[in-house]
Amino acid sequence: MYELLKTILIEDLKLDPAEVSPDASREDAGLDSLGVVELSMVLSRRLDIDISDDELLELKTLAAIVQLIEQRTAGVR
Amino acid sequence: MTGSEIGTADRAVLCGIGHWLPARVVTNAELCARLDTSEDWILSRTGISTRHQVEPGQGTSELAIEAGRAALKSAGGVPVEAVVLATTTPDYPCPATAPAVASALGLGGVAAFDVAAVCSGFLYGLATAAGLIASGMAQRVLLIAAEAFTTLLDPDDRTTVPIFGDGAGAVVLRRGQASEPGAIGPIVLGSDGDRNEMIIVKGGGARQRSGGPGAESLPQYFQMAGREVFREAIERMSASATEALAAVGWNLSDVDRMVAHQANARINAALASMLGLRPEVVLQNIAQVGNTAGASIPLLLAQAAQSGTLKPGHRVLLAAFGGGLTWGASTLTWPELDL
Repeated sequence: MYELLKTILIEDLKLDPAEVSPDASREDAGLDSLGVVELSMVLSRRLDIDISDDELLELKTLAAIVQLIEQRTAGVR
Repeated sequence: MTGSEIGTADRAVLCGIGHWLPARVVTNAELCARLDTSEDWILSRTGISTRHQVEPGQGTSELAIEAGRAALKSAGGVPVEAVVLATTTPDYPCPATAPAVASALGLGGVAAFDVAAVCSGFLYGLATAAGLIASGMAQRVLLIAAEAFTTLLDPDDRTTVPIFGDGAGAVVLRRGQASEPGAIGPIVLGSDGDRNEMIIVKGGGARQRSGGPGAESLPQYFQMAGREVFREAIERMSASATEALAAVGWNLSDVDRMVAHQANARINAALASMLGLRPEVVLQNIAQVGNTAGASIPLLLAQAAQSGTLKPGHRVLLAAFGGGLTWGASTLTWPELDL
């Protein structure tokens, strides 16, 4: 799932691949408050899961985002 | 209703284009000297380096007259039967600005009125012009989109001041056939009044003037819910663009150039990504002119045609989203024009 997020961040959101790693903070990876809106939309279209930009803004690292995506994909609210 | 129901005759065909920017250029450095923001933030957040600004005392009509004059010249100095001005910033709350613009251009006497759809103004104006032509009321329409948007902004608001710029674009549309180069394709328009407060200037209008509790404290300045607008803009422009392409029978891969309203470089990048358009298809000039609201599309079309990045034969997708909320999209194949 991390690999999928990484692909989305680099290919869809055009983030710098050098800044994208599991331990990277959301901010260091370049995922600002506009970026999380876009990520939320891509996740909805691509994976049919509902994660709001507010929820994403609360997460500090990419690993935490991966965890939330995994939870939502498994249907855990 | 889309334009495809009207039939193959009496379409609006683009036959002239012009634009104008006020002389004063405002740089990011200048803004950072007085606002609590950084050049880095402005550039990474919006993609904007400079924007133009009207001089004190200058109104929207000045911008509209210059752009309109350029468009009429480009069209070969033909007479027009209507002047439509899309603007969010009329010179005065009353009357509309279009009649004064028409008079100044030597077109006194023709139908002249303003269209208000904020950043969707040009698409709404296109539909209006197309309607005047299809109904037989006009052989030719001068459609101008002019904005002195900086006049709406709180000068201390670091979230809006770096974004908006002033400017105008204008086109002449003539009656013609759907098969001609320059024929405007079916136009998609939409609105969502439930979200009218997302992009708004609350003060200065009838609601404040009629009084009532809290009337005096209604803000005189422009307000925008940044993140929500970002999301809505991408979703609505992507949906209406898709609809406009389907109506004209084009695939996404047929699109040579996308000229979308540029509110923020990030929105256009996300929109292109969402639609699956190659980056080189997306035309932009927001770095130099900022978000010019309703003027953004014709301003970019005019500059791109002049510079050659937009060429005759290019299949162009237009898309806009703005206050209202409003949105719109359409298509055309770029014609040969006198620039």
